[in-house]
Amino acid sequence: MMDFIWYILGVLTGAVAYSLYLISKKTTLNWLLWSGLIAGSSLILFSIAWVVGSVLEGVPRAASMGILLFGLSGVIMLTLTARMVASQKDKVQ
Amino acid sequence: MNQPDKKESGKGLNASRRRFLKLGLAGAGVAAVAAGGVTAIKRMEGIRHDEFPLPVRDDFKRIDQRNQINVFANSKALNDKHSERNRSFNAQLKKENPQGFKEFHFYETRHVFMQGPYRDAVGHSQLERALAVAGFSSARQQLGGGSMEAPNTGVSSWKQEMLAKDKYQFNSPGEAALAIKSAARLFGALRCGITKRDERWDYEPLYDAAIERELSWEKDFPFEPKTVIVILAEMDYHAMASAPSWMQDGTVGDAYAHAIKIAGQLTIFLRQLGYQAVASMNDMGVNAPYAIAAGLGEGARNGSIITPKQGPRIRISKVYTDFELVEYDKPRTFGVASFCLNCKRCADSCPSKAITFDAQSWEPTYSSDPDYIWHASRGVLKFHNDAKKCAKFWIDNDGSCGNCIASCPYNKPDFWHHRLVDAQNVIAPGPVHAFMREMDIFFGYGKVDDPARVRKFWKMGAKI
Repeated sequence: MMDFIWYILGVLTGAVAYSLYLISKKTTLNWLLWSGLIAGSSLILFSIAWVVGSVLEGVPRAASMGILLFGLSGVIMLTLTARMVASQKDKVQ
Repeated sequence: MNQPDKKESGKGLNASRRRFLKLGLAGAGVAAVAAGGVTAIKRMEGIRHDEFPLPVRDDFKRIDQRNQINVFANSKALNDKHSERNRSFNAQLKKENPQGFKEFHFYETRHVFMQGPYRDAVGHSQLERALAVAGFSSARQQLGGGSMEAPNTGVSSWKQEMLAKDKYQFNSPGEAALAIKSAARLFGALRCGITKRDERWDYEPLYDAAIERELSWEKDFPFEPKTVIVILAEMDYHAMASAPSWMQDGTVGDAYAHAIKIAGQLTIFLRQLGYQAVASMNDMGVNAPYAIAAGLGEGARNGSIITPKQGPRIRISKVYTDFELVEYDKPRTFGVASFCLNCKRCADSCPSKAITFDAQSWEPTYSSDPDYIWHASRGVLKFHNDAKKCAKFWIDNDGSCGNCIASCPYNKPDFWHHRLVDAQNVIAPGPVHAFMREMDIFFGYGKVDDPARVRKFWKMGAKI
């Protein structure tokens, strides 16, 4: 099962990397925004792997704590970064 | 016309410098992360030491096997001879709990161990008792019905049967070590390490409680051992997680059976190569220092060793042999001592408070009364625990305990995220270890005395 999850995570990581590449083509971001995007998406990917691992080993509490600590932090970071990117775009326009 | 061109080219130059700087910084970041990862992986494999990694004082004395807690508890003669030991322990128990005090006697309680009535509590029913007795049955059969501490019995017999006349010659010590470890792998060892025999860790004298007889290395043992092969057998995570239920005895006994089986087979392997060998479980020498010397783990607060991946969830057996042209493993440290110093989770979960909360010391810190600390090994800088209290809880529980193993943050199933945390722990400084202990609790690991773990174990069969 975990092998299949690693495959899915590989595909997702590739998709995230390609999305970041597309963003870099379309817009110019400062280092803070880049850090936010990379860290946020990495945390979400990490939380997926953590949650699946914890569920497979039969420790649901570790899975939920993983969502809370890593997943939620990743979502918050990505949301904040996306809002900053949007406001930067608005300013440019 | 030339002026604007210069400005343009200057701007272009600055932009390319900025880009170069950014790329350089990104590269440095990636290199730093990679270097951190490589360092962590190397540290997880352990730092190798030329000498035994725990400081040992010059006045350290070898341990008399009669002072080993289980040997003493199993011996009527020793209990009769040393009545002051039971007296002193009872005085301490009375002092600690005047209201609930009940007279305790090591031998009288020990020889009816695991034979008490079933209890109306999850994990202490007939079902778990059956698992515990069955788990130990194979080890007992292999050891001729004797205890794990009994020397010269069953597969650990000192008779050199099946000894080949010709001595096989390996091309190099490295080849010999690899052959022995390959055989150990085939026989089912989790890990195997080879170390020089170190008399400091051998009991002197040896004692067989079953026949109440002292045994001498010089007069009774068939050869002079040169090398000790140390074998690790894994205990089941889910059964151990049920501690202190009787269920965990099932995996303790089963791991003993595996450990002694592998040691017995390695013994025959060596004898068939023409070298004398004797298998040993908990007799002849102290397992933990031999396992440390063989590079298999590091001494922990709970008195056992902590190995990479399984933590303390292992049992140790040994093979003494006169074969010495073999490459010895070096002791390794993995940052466990520092982690144990800050964690203390085993001490918190110990129901009898046998495990110390103190730092490593040369002598026991729980008492200095010679009648009370008769079993302690003095002169090694380590965590000193009161083994008598541990043994008493076993009697009260009518089964062993395992809380210190189940609660240890190093005791985890083999999943990637635990290896990541292990890697973090080996490179992080002390205060981070205390934080990681709290996170371990927060994430729901290491809970003991939890009926849900017992129920979960009985559902694990659906996976096979």
